[in-house]
Amino acid sequence: MTFRPKVLVTKIGFDGHDRGSRIVAAALRDAGMEVIYTPPWQEIAAVVKIAREEDVDVIGISSLATDHLIVPHLMKALREAGLGGKCVIVGGIVPDEEVPLLLDAGVARVFHPGSAMDEVVEFVRQAAEKVQQQYQLAE
Amino acid sequence: MNKAMESRVTAASPEEIWTAEYRQQIGQETAVHNRSGIEVRPLYTPKDLGDTDYGRDLGYPGQAPFTRGIYPTMHRGRTWTQRQLIGLGTPQDYNQRLQHILAQGATAISLLPCNSVFRGYDMDEVPVELLGTCGTVINNADHMDQALAGMDLAKISCAMNDPTPFTLLAFLLVTAKRRQVPWSAIAGTSNQSDYLSHFIANHMFYRLANAGARRLLIDHIEFCVKHLPKWNPMSVVGQHTQQAGATPAEAMAFTLSAAIQNAEDCIARGMNPDDFLPRFTFFFDISISFFEEIAKFRAGRRIWARITRERLGAKDSRSWRFKFHGQTSGSDLTRQQPLNNISRVSVQAMAGIFGGLQSLHTDAYDEAISCPTEAGARIAVATQNILKEEAHLTDVIDPLGGSYYIEALTNEMEERIEAVMARIDAAGGMYQAVETGLVQRMIGESALRFQQTVESGEQTVVGVNKYQVDSEASQPAQPRPDAQSMAALIDDFRCFKNQRSATAVGRGLDDLARAAHDPKINLFSRVIEAAEAGVTHGEICACLRREMGFGQPLVAV
Amino acid sequence: MSFPSVRQLADAVQAHEAAAIARALTIVENRLPSCTALLAALHQPAQAAAVRAHRVGITGAPGAGKSSFIGALLAELVPQGKKIAVLAIDPSSPLSGGAVLGDRLRFGPAATSENVFVRSMAARTSLGGLNAAINDALTVLNAAGFDLLLIETVGAGQSEVEIMRVAQTVLVLCPPGLGDEVQTLKAGILEIAHILVVSKGDLPAAAALAQELADSLKLRKRAAWSVPVLTVSSLQRQGIAEVAQRMTQHRDFIRQAA
Repeated sequence: MTFRPKVLVTKIGFDGHDRGSRIVAAALRDAGMEVIYTPPWQEIAAVVKIAREEDVDVIGISSLATDHLIVPHLMKALREAGLGGKCVIVGGIVPDEEVPLLLDAGVARVFHPGSAMDEVVEFVRQAAEKVQQQYQLAE
Repeated sequence: MNKAMESRVTAASPEEIWTAEYRQQIGQETAVHNRSGIEVRPLYTPKDLGDTDYGRDLGYPGQAPFTRGIYPTMHRGRTWTQRQLIGLGTPQDYNQRLQHILAQGATAISLLPCNSVFRGYDMDEVPVELLGTCGTVINNADHMDQALAGMDLAKISCAMNDPTPFTLLAFLLVTAKRRQVPWSAIAGTSNQSDYLSHFIANHMFYRLANAGARRLLIDHIEFCVKHLPKWNPMSVVGQHTQQAGATPAEAMAFTLSAAIQNAEDCIARGMNPDDFLPRFTFFFDISISFFEEIAKFRAGRRIWARITRERLGAKDSRSWRFKFHGQTSGSDLTRQQPLNNISRVSVQAMAGIFGGLQSLHTDAYDEAISCPTEAGARIAVATQNILKEEAHLTDVIDPLGGSYYIEALTNEMEERIEAVMARIDAAGGMYQAVETGLVQRMIGESALRFQQTVESGEQTVVGVNKYQVDSEASQPAQPRPDAQSMAALIDDFRCFKNQRSATAVGRGLDDLARAAHDPKINLFSRVIEAAEAGVTHGEICACLRREMGFGQPLVAV
Repeated sequence: MSFPSVRQLADAVQAHEAAAIARALTIVENRLPSCTALLAALHQPAQAAAVRAHRVGITGAPGAGKSSFIGALLAELVPQGKKIAVLAIDPSSPLSGGAVLGDRLRFGPAATSENVFVRSMAARTSLGGLNAAINDALTVLNAAGFDLLLIETVGAGQSEVEIMRVAQTVLVLCPPGLGDEVQTLKAGILEIAHILVVSKGDLPAAAALAQELADSLKLRKRAAWSVPVLTVSSLQRQGIAEVAQRMTQHRDFIRQAA
């Protein structure tokens, strides 16, 4: 069996525009990855539960309004659930001056609108591989 | 030998000469298509008009088929309504901005509520970081009163981006009552009343399950027809589907099909088409595909004139008029080199004006980054005034009418639109089509196709896939609501909840809940009564979601 | 969360720790290096059949309402204190081998309970491989101490028939109004159903379909287990309790027969 990166593509907060997140999910699928895709308005607790049960490698948050402002809460919830090893990326409209807020909270990368899909896919693939390397088991 | 002699000798027509010269000079050429998939040729001539008949297919403005405009005077007589969407922070913040934008030349109110309001919540139920960042927080009639302080409700038109169950309109009506303004004077539009478009493509506004939203909409239309003679309870929305990736032809088709569905639902309720059709309005996205948008609107007018008369049985000519509001498309704007967006918005606005709209919102150039700054909002209004008063775009009605290209394109768009409408009909009508996901799938395919043209570079986006600059100038600071005033608002709100009559609130909610299960009661009138009793926005939404089902959008990748 | 050794991971699975269960599922699904050792550590031959989780397969054509039904079933069973795992299997793209797995989000609020563990699984390409992976996943879930394992697949074709063989009780959901559905359903999946459920019971055509199914069952050879035809409306939460009871009935039936 081949290892395939498992990615959660989701939206927290209030924004409902999902055209971008759907395109990213399709691109990741077309690159051979397995994507758990959620509708918008997921509660942070629900995102943590999905990430835990699905053992995802990467969590992609799509944020177009100002929902990125609560991503630090998500990062905290993930750490408290022992899921801090997962890679979190944020895609969407994030003003430059608020990017450090996200990076400081542990977000690996912020992708702005107009980012090339190839770049996103490659970043996710490499991030997933790194996450998997953490999980080597002794016999 | 000169050309004239050549043509006499070889008997080549001027057309043939041009064709030959064109091909020789242009060399290799791939076909050009617009967003709706129609091939765009280099030249259009009288031949392209086919059997277009002026009287039958174009007509005079204000007469069927209305291709050239729905009113005899159009913009020369009365400019489109300059309805700029604004919203941020607290009701007081909104009022300040409103006064400012009216002074800058806007002529009507459009209120953009906070995302928390869209999702049906009160301010004390949500993370404070998300309050008032993209719209104004309004949870009760007092807030509406504050937001519209100083406005003469009998004289100014309102659109409040207020989806079912239309709580904001309820708050407006309660405010009007308090100010002793008769409801018969209240003018405006329920510009987000189209639940089908929300279900398909703008889940932001989607609150109740389809069956409940459908019933509430017809109740709402019925109520407004009876009690609010100047209010348009129905705005069928093409903006959401086009922004989600539908081609312009598809967006027009989905909109007209939705309008038919809603009209048929009203007729099934026992309403007379001539009572409600004059109150049906439309709301469209205007993309930067300039000529295509103009043709889209002209075709839409022609098709709607035919449908209202032939399919819906309307006899009053006011029922046949395709009234629409256009908003320049945010999905064409870029984050990179944002000032370029001013040019884009100008082109989009021109397309809407030449397309014959009745009301226009121009985006601020910084819309792609976040909620617009004051400067951005001011330039957006100035753009409209420049087009009108400096470029004199309104001096001639339907100035592109008669252009071989525009008329040919209008005909072709009409064909495309009708082909999509036929598919919707075959699927059992718009309600059925969206429940099964047919429309969503079509939009998904179009969105992916467009994305691919941008990724491949076939479609240039200046500053994004071509003409990029290495270091971008730093962006303006994002307007965020003042934390202290928001905290004060929340405190006030909590006081309000403690001080209102618990009995009245309880009764209001009970009546609302019971009405949800009784089709004989007009549910919208109960929403107004609840608002009067002090029930809040979040409480009304929660009650109806409980009784009628939480709106779960159909998600397809 | 990391598990330094197979033994620790296996212990954590048996202690019903969600992160451990999830990791173990990843290992068996992807046949990662520790797979064999992990399965050996989790295998419990001495365990009485009665203690093992009840494996229920739920299938039906797309649009049959499986997700809503599962949501309603969870809402019914979770308050009873049951620990439930749901394995939602979706097809993989034949072109890229990737998949978009969105089923779990359609189960509604009951799935957010801490007593419900939902795992999405892509069918990937090799059918034989899929069955092995599902069987191993069920071994993990069984070792984790769940009371009920729901295995959900889309479609009612030959591959779904094969998948359903891992289940002890097979529920087939049949929606009214799809046309000649009984004819279509006869091909294989109807044959292995232990419980037939007519979904969207609030629709007028539901009663007619239930009758049609009952009639077609009469034509079958008599078997020890008589297949019931039940009607549910997930929307109105009707008929769900009856289905749950029949599931339990069937579980007891097969345990007695064993």
